[in-house]
Amino acid sequence: MSSAELPRKEANVLRGHEGAVLAARFNADGNYCLSCGKDRTIRLWNPHRGLHIKTYKSHGREVRDVHVTPDNSKLCSCGGDRQIFYWDVATGRVIRKFRGHDGEVNAVKFNEYSSVVVSAGYDQSLRAWDCRSHSTEPIQIIDSFSDSVMSVCITKTEIIGGSVDGTVRTFDIRIGREIADNLGQPVNCISMSNDGNCILASCLDSKLRLLDR
Amino acid sequence: MDSDEEDYVFYGTPIEREEEVTSRKKKAVAEASGQLRTLPSWKQEVRDEEGRRRFHGAFTGGYSAGYFNTVGSKEGWTPQTFVSSRKNRAEVKQQSIFSFLDEDEKSELAGQSLGTSSQFDTFGFTAAEIARKQAEKEQQQRSSAIPGPVPDEIVLPATESIGVKLLLKMGWRRGRSIKDSHANSVYDAKREAHKAFLAFSSDDANAQAADSESIQGDLENYIEQPASGEVISSQGTHVYALNPKQDLHGLGFDPYKNAPEFRERKRSRISDNRDPEYRKALSVKNSLFGFKSGKVAPGFGIGALEELDAEDEDVFASDYDFEETYVQEIDEPSTKSMVDTKRKLITNERGVLLGFRLASNADYQPERFDPPLVPKDFVPNHKFAGPLETDHKVPDTGPPEVSPPEDNNLKLLIDGVATLVARCGKLFEDISREKNQSNPLFSFLLGGNGHDYYVRKLWEARQKRADQKKHQLDGKASPSLPKLTAESRGKILGERPLERSSNDANPSVASSDSIHLQYNLSDTFTKPASFSELPEVVKPFKEDPAKQERFERFLKEKYQGGLRTTQFSGAVNLSEAARARERLDFEAAAEAIEKGTRGKETKTSTQHITEFLTTGGMQFTSGGLEKVEDTHADISMEMYPKREEYQWRPSPMLCKRFDLIDPYMGKPPPAPRMRSKIDTLIFTPDSVTAKNVEETTAENRDSFAIPQIDAQGISKDLSDKEIEVEVAVENVERPVDLYKAIFSDDSDEEEDAIPIVNKVEHPEKKVEAANTALNRLMAGDFLESLGKELGLELPPDPPYSSNKAGASASQKVVNENPGNDKVLHVEAKPPLTTNVSSECPINPAVLHDKEMAQDGRHKKNEPIDGDSAKSRVAEIVSSKNKNDQVNPEKIHQQDRKVKTRQRSSSTTSSSEDERSRRQSRRHRHRGSDSDSDSSSDHRHRSRSRGRRKESSREKSQSSRKHSKHHGHRSVVSPIRSHYGSEKERSESKREKHRRRS
Repeated sequence: MSSAELPRKEANVLRGHEGAVLAARFNADGNYCLSCGKDRTIRLWNPHRGLHIKTYKSHGREVRDVHVTPDNSKLCSCGGDRQIFYWDVATGRVIRKFRGHDGEVNAVKFNEYSSVVVSAGYDQSLRAWDCRSHSTEPIQIIDSFSDSVMSVCITKTEIIGGSVDGTVRTFDIRIGREIADNLGQPVNCISMSNDGNCILASCLDSKLRLLDR
Repeated sequence: MDSDEEDYVFYGTPIEREEEVTSRKKKAVAEASGQLRTLPSWKQEVRDEEGRRRFHGAFTGGYSAGYFNTVGSKEGWTPQTFVSSRKNRAEVKQQSIFSFLDEDEKSELAGQSLGTSSQFDTFGFTAAEIARKQAEKEQQQRSSAIPGPVPDEIVLPATESIGVKLLLKMGWRRGRSIKDSHANSVYDAKREAHKAFLAFSSDDANAQAADSESIQGDLENYIEQPASGEVISSQGTHVYALNPKQDLHGLGFDPYKNAPEFRERKRSRISDNRDPEYRKALSVKNSLFGFKSGKVAPGFGIGALEELDAEDEDVFASDYDFEETYVQEIDEPSTKSMVDTKRKLITNERGVLLGFRLASNADYQPERFDPPLVPKDFVPNHKFAGPLETDHKVPDTGPPEVSPPEDNNLKLLIDGVATLVARCGKLFEDISREKNQSNPLFSFLLGGNGHDYYVRKLWEARQKRADQKKHQLDGKASPSLPKLTAESRGKILGERPLERSSNDANPSVASSDSIHLQYNLSDTFTKPASFSELPEVVKPFKEDPAKQERFERFLKEKYQGGLRTTQFSGAVNLSEAARARERLDFEAAAEAIEKGTRGKETKTSTQHITEFLTTGGMQFTSGGLEKVEDTHADISMEMYPKREEYQWRPSPMLCKRFDLIDPYMGKPPPAPRMRSKIDTLIFTPDSVTAKNVEETTAENRDSFAIPQIDAQGISKDLSDKEIEVEVAVENVERPVDLYKAIFSDDSDEEEDAIPIVNKVEHPEKKVEAANTALNRLMAGDFLESLGKELGLELPPDPPYSSNKAGASASQKVVNENPGNDKVLHVEAKPPLTTNVSSECPINPAVLHDKEMAQDGRHKKNEPIDGDSAKSRVAEIVSSKNKNDQVNPEKIHQQDRKVKTRQRSSSTTSSSEDERSRRQSRRHRHRGSDSDSDSSSDHRHRSRSRGRRKESSREKSQSSRKHSKHHGHRSVVSPIRSHYGSEKERSESKREKHRRRS
């Protein structure tokens, strides 16, 4: 993509949130977009037409992150109420609530098969929750972080978390290894490149760090 | 809408809603169109075209007929394979009436046949019949090795005859002979010996018969003499002497059928083999050739292994030697048996197994096997509780004083291990010896270098411990015994004194150290023992020899020396600021050097260092503090990014959900990596145990929670102690950095340092300092887990320290009493409680006095129970406030109730702030209620009763855990609590803030 193709114009403004918007996520094919914010709601939009489709209300505090399954059937969201909500997109009902984080939940992601929700919390842990079974306990707690985990990424075989302790930790399920990349600066957000070869980490020293994996 | 409908009156049947009808129809259609097929047969229901359930089978009842509405059966229809009748023609079955009868009909028929009922089955005939039938049936069901019907004689009666039963009831046991109860023990023993002999010597049936006959006679004679009146009925109980088949002939084949003399010959020979007299002679030959007993098989030549004497070389001799007479052997058994029995009796007395005797010379040399090697990745699951040796008497005279080894590291290591062994017991020594067998550093455990010193140290440590114990037992610490402070202990251990207040002046150094701790720790983790050869070549301060010298000293202290000196002796003339700057300078240089060596490019590194010094160093000298900060950031930048790898165990469920194969599948215990770097540090040599530690810590996290909290509150003494042991453990790998972690920032020092740091340095450094403090706590935590891992119980922490904590808590109570009193007054004033105050028999002042007295008593008797005292105080206050009725027993009663409520509200921890706040709000509400009318008061009481259960549960939780919260909350009476809730809220807010920052 050359620089000329990059978007330069504001296509639409999605108005509706009453308060700060804390996260906005596209769905898998980019046709829809989800946003969540301090007004304790999650909103589903069609960003291309600027339409507000649905509002999901159930969170007790601000909603910090939201993620949607590749088949657009389920949502997961998390926020200041220390819970992860697992929603049905069509009905707008909460299917399940996962409690267990000892602090606010910063980020949440589905895995490839949308069978697991991995959440990153202020309690210095990553927790994996099972959407298939009815158990309310996390199937795994990763607590090797030494500070609040701000963001999480999931590949087919890995869970990657970025933390305020300055580390980006990659948990490879396939070989059972944890690779900790210490960046020396608190990591606020990490994001995978589309080919999965790089991680872009935004740090609190006003720098973006692109990590080759 | 509903209310509207109630008003109407409806006539006739309502028209069915269209959707209901359609849905039913839809369902019917769907089921008809194939949805039924998907259901298993037992779930299928028969429905009519309208979708309604059809009822059939009116007489038998129910909705299903046949086999789940089919004509099938459970087995279903199974196709049979074609069997050619041509081959199986012979198998014509004799049909009987039974082949046409059902089970129940058969049982009916069986009832008609005559037989003795088992009740009167005196001789067991019927039982035998039944058993035979049973066997036949079984025979038919499963093919056995022997085809055809079971021969009758094989099937024995399943029940005893009545005689046997009677005998059993009289106390007879199977295998015993029937005789008087006052049996002669000598006879018994003889009989046993005889039996054993029989079993031992008899070989084939004939021989046994002959043998036993002769022996029997012999024995009879023998027996007759002592006890003539005895009833001997050994024939009555068969002695089943089993004849093991030892030859290689086919089953039932008798090679001596036509030549009985050979049989006799063989028997005698075998008994010879067993006979101790002959054994010696034959053993040599037998050992090699087994049953041939020295004879070589005719016509086969001589094998390489066979050694033959001249007389044996009779190639043409047959298998058996005819020359030898067997006359001698015929009478031999009887005499021999006599001897044997006698001997056996003797040996029996000695406690040797019956029928055996102790070999005078064992020709069997047991082969020694080495114990199996424990695989490296073996994780022991079983923990053995090792005996604690705390009560162990320490010998007063220890081993002689030995001068410590020259190597300082070794000395520290020995000291540490000795302390730890003294604390944890001998088992620790054994374990560490086992683990570090190959490690040359630990040769002192195996008696190598420094062993003497170790022994001495161990004795010293034990003695010290014993002293301490005595000391504790005395209760009060006698003032003559000086308390073991960090300094004195340091003196004992030969440590250099810590740098104290001098360090406060240069806070940047301290803080930078606290930062470096992290790096150093991680360095230790990634590359152990890399610094030993490190700083010999690099001389970044060539131009300034004095500075270079200082730098070298600095390096030495940083990487080898353990503790820092109080000051740089060479830098006395420098100002504080200059020293601090230089210190930072050194740190940076050291970092650079380290980096360079890690990259294994010393040349470039020196370049790099000089380069760095020209840039960064200039800044130091010229710039102010801000620039220092910058360079520091630069340093940290150069450290990063850094990659470390750990083991991580995904849970099997996670693997399943990610559709991946569990990499740890089949490996038994979960092996998550350690939580803290200290853990990893200590256990880097063998990760296996580290895993285990992690496990135990995970398991015992709950139990550790309390000690951890305690550790915060408990006096320094304890933490010192733990550090001491911690040091010992840490010595295993690399002493320097952890030393620094522990000793470089003492808590008092930290407190002094932090405010200044805040001004100067990055705010995150405070976090780092907190981290180190936390690490130290974890070290204590770790120690316990180590103990658990080793299967040891750590001796409890010295109680006097906790006593002190308790005492301080009770002190707090006293302090809070005035406030309490005030509350009382305040509460007495409002019009809501006027009746209370007027009718209450005790006036506030008296109450206060009483409280004080109570407190004093508590302080005296049980200083630890500080918060119970507090709660009691609170309870008195609150009860007084609550008392609407004045009669004393009611007061008492209410006391209890209030107490329970008080407990329930007070024991909630800070995490439950919200709930308590809500509760308090409720209290406020209730308070106004109770004043307005008395009935609400009843309700209130009942509510509190309901909560008592809950509160008692909470009571059972450790009260210490919440002791801090008691400090301000338990004193708050329920009525006051809305006033207090404000405070709480603000407090919790502050707490949250603190946590976030």
